[in-house]
Amino acid sequence: MKKIWIYVEEYQGRINKVAFELIAKAKELGDAYLEPVEIGAVLLSNNAADSIEVLELYGVTDVYVGENCRLGEYCHTTYAPVLADLIKEEDPDVFLFGATQVGSELAPTVAARVRTGLAAHCVNLRIDEGGMMVADVPAFGGKIIGEILVPTKRPQMASVKPGVFTAKECGLPQASRIHKINLCALDRVDLRLVPQGTFVANTSVKPIEDADIVLAGGYGLGSQENWQKLVELAELLGGAVGSTRPCLDEGWADSEETMIGTSGKSIRPKVYLGFGISGATHHVCGMKDANLVITVNKDQKAGIFGVSDYYAVSDVNEILPVLIELIKSNKINQYF
Amino acid sequence: MSLHIVVCLKPVPDPDCYDQVTIDPNTKRIVRENIPMVINAVDKVALEEALQLRDAFGGKVTVVTMSLPSAKKHLLEALAMGADEGILLTDASFGGADTLATSYTLSKTIQQLGRVDLVLLGNESADGATCQVPSQLGEWLGLPHLWNVFSVEPMDERVFLLKTKYENGHKEWRGELPLVLAVSRELVKPRHISAMGIIKAKNKPIAILNKEGVNDLQEECIGLVGSPTQPGEIMIPDMSRSGERLEGSCEEMGLQILEKIRAGGIVF
Amino acid sequence: MAAVFNFSEEQEMIRAAAREFAETEIAPNAAEWDNQDICPVELWPMLGEIGAAGTFVPEIYGGPGLGHVERAIFLEEISRYSGGLGIALMTHHLPIEAILKFGSEEQKNKYIPDLVSGTKIGGLSVTEPSGGSDFAGQQCSAEKIENGWKLNGRKCFITNAGIADTNVIICKTGEDERGRGILSAFIVEKGNEGLKPGRHENKLGLRGSITGDVLLDNCIIPEDALIGKIGDGTKIGMTAIGEVGRAGMTAICVGLLRGACEDASKFAKERVVGGKPISKQQAIQFELADIRTEYEAAKALLYMAASVKDEGKPATTAFAIAKYYASEASVRGTKRCMDVLGGYGVVNEYAVGRYLRDALASISSGGTSHIQRLIIGGDTLKNF
Repeated sequence: MKKIWIYVEEYQGRINKVAFELIAKAKELGDAYLEPVEIGAVLLSNNAADSIEVLELYGVTDVYVGENCRLGEYCHTTYAPVLADLIKEEDPDVFLFGATQVGSELAPTVAARVRTGLAAHCVNLRIDEGGMMVADVPAFGGKIIGEILVPTKRPQMASVKPGVFTAKECGLPQASRIHKINLCALDRVDLRLVPQGTFVANTSVKPIEDADIVLAGGYGLGSQENWQKLVELAELLGGAVGSTRPCLDEGWADSEETMIGTSGKSIRPKVYLGFGISGATHHVCGMKDANLVITVNKDQKAGIFGVSDYYAVSDVNEILPVLIELIKSNKINQYF
Repeated sequence: MSLHIVVCLKPVPDPDCYDQVTIDPNTKRIVRENIPMVINAVDKVALEEALQLRDAFGGKVTVVTMSLPSAKKHLLEALAMGADEGILLTDASFGGADTLATSYTLSKTIQQLGRVDLVLLGNESADGATCQVPSQLGEWLGLPHLWNVFSVEPMDERVFLLKTKYENGHKEWRGELPLVLAVSRELVKPRHISAMGIIKAKNKPIAILNKEGVNDLQEECIGLVGSPTQPGEIMIPDMSRSGERLEGSCEEMGLQILEKIRAGGIVF
Repeated sequence: MAAVFNFSEEQEMIRAAAREFAETEIAPNAAEWDNQDICPVELWPMLGEIGAAGTFVPEIYGGPGLGHVERAIFLEEISRYSGGLGIALMTHHLPIEAILKFGSEEQKNKYIPDLVSGTKIGGLSVTEPSGGSDFAGQQCSAEKIENGWKLNGRKCFITNAGIADTNVIICKTGEDERGRGILSAFIVEKGNEGLKPGRHENKLGLRGSITGDVLLDNCIIPEDALIGKIGDGTKIGMTAIGEVGRAGMTAICVGLLRGACEDASKFAKERVVGGKPISKQQAIQFELADIRTEYEAAKALLYMAASVKDEGKPATTAFAIAKYYASEASVRGTKRCMDVLGGYGVVNEYAVGRYLRDALASISSGGTSHIQRLIIGGDTLKNF
């Protein structure tokens, strides 16, 4: 039976939601085969019970669990050998990882250990007529999409950024087969690299990928002062502020986590508002799946207009205060 | 304390030109002739870190690149920045290598350099951006590795304190040399190349190695042959939307924008 | 004149490094410096690090040991974005040349390393209200006193006035039997009592450099502040300005011409009128051709003269020709660029207005066009 696995990134009982997105895609891939497939979730943790319950809501058929206190803090020196042993034992056909910061290190490490191929940060996955997985992988800042296949080696591995696929709860929880992973590898761990303390959270940042409306500011804003107007408008609209690389370099945006693009976040909010964004491909790749795209730029040739539903050719620094005033003064409610 | 640090560099097409990349309809390949090649920007961060560590503790910085023969000029640039010696791996049979084959070839080259204390790379390349080579290089070398390092603090001769960044926080690590580290762009600002550095670079050695120049290289592990991933079709995605231009005064356009936001399901 | 000139691989690498520096550190800030009329003195140590602050200084004094071709490359690349910073830097080189060529070992070891590293900024004071072109007519006086000299007078239109740490100042120490001034050169350090900055000129162009008065009010300096011998002032001043100053201004104008060429071409490709970019219009192509031709000609004259100087041969006339041509051409070229940009050229968001102002201001610095023509005319009569 074909085994299509996804790696579940979990910390202190919280599962990174990319796992649910991957499960949905794994099931879609499984449907392409005309035979029953195993949709397996692989979880390494120091306390797995709650997570297993959650996974069952998403319709996995099997859960492979490695539970040990030494797996509480992620480190590739513990996680990768365990996963490599598991792969050798169970021989899955497909193994998907979230292209998170952890995944970007763990997936290639595992792929190297088992000498297989890994398609990085794919934007789509499908099964072709020959039953092989085909991954669509962006390059050149997303300007080019190339297909990648892993013709002979197994498992066929792929990593996918959060927000690319969509999760689907399957209604009724479905009991899965639980397998305990062989943890012998933990006896031979390379101690030359050891985590110090626990994960240090930065709680001040609200993840922009969770927001219904994202206001993205570009270099066209021109100054810290103008950036603050964007922040103010975001607050009034209950939205998150997204940024581009130049704004981070200028120090207007305070965190890399707000950067939208192929090197940053992929977002799919209900509404994306772009102010002073030129529309370079690498940024567009990060927001192209937003439901509604409205942009403002004073350059009538701005590329962003070609990927917008609505756009205004105007100086962002004139429009921002107007928008703020229209909301604060409640004038909008007089109009509709 | 003296450190031999190897820095892996990748020449990439200049990212400023990516929006103009096209695909030749006949050959179905990417047209890159008119795009200049530059050293991947975050690799320069890795090189700068290596130079600062060498300047603080003594030792040597070797830069390695696996690329076309024209990459010699990028090695010269790295030498002008302050590296001590360069190695260019170039051979037709290295072509088409994916990250596994690339990191394999790099690992065999590094293994014949004698004692190596640190291998530094940028965390991702501008063109492919797979982020995979550093971790896989660590695995081939049998060394611990870390991806996305934004802080490097030597504690003593053989132990470094490192910090890696995550979506909503960071982690600290204790690593014993030798280590492979993939650095993030915020680690350090690379120095500008100086005229003095350029003059000195002339006299620094650059070794050009083909596949015979690398010991113990197994043919089945290099190039396209050694790549478990294989490329298929390429295309330029169409992300366009039928933009409707809003007109009127600032206030009129502002009202229209807010109306559309409401229609989009946002309550405010 | 030298034979066929080609840049070496190292010179091309230096150009690439200088360009990268200019694009990251200068281009984003040049408009601001022009607007506020400030000189970015904080860049000096970085200029020292990359080898731009003392390019032609030998290694024994801490310099890169390169020549005037490499110096011109740095100045051209920097001035392509900021003519103001260009003239501030090229002026900084003038006291270095003066001390290097004519100073004692003590003076060289005392002053040159800091100027090369960018730790100190240099200045050269010659021009007076009596006329910049009237070199011999300088009136600032240096009176010999016990254990030193007392300087009095007013220098004007001095670049780096008030910010220079190491000033080489030309003063009259006496008169000869025919009543003509005997000029001598002195090193005066910033902070020396009696050395004061005066008015700050509000310039049309080359903003990004400070230009103003240097006032000497019973300025007392030690004996060993004299460079060379009494009466060497003419030789020292003319050598510094003649070749090094002139070369610097030429490089600035070549940089401005390249800026005009690049900006005009870029704009022409992007500006769509009547459904197509204006670059398709022959009239626009003619303008671009004229800017380009004059840029290439000015560039050739500059680097030819610089390579003659690097061979150790006299290059005064070569630089006079280069400066005369490049400065006048930069006014024509930047004006043409403004024509290509049309209405946008007059909007300060576009740099071409600054390029034109910088070009205009370059004519009267380092010897006016009329002075250059006197030199060229005189040399022509001698040799043709």
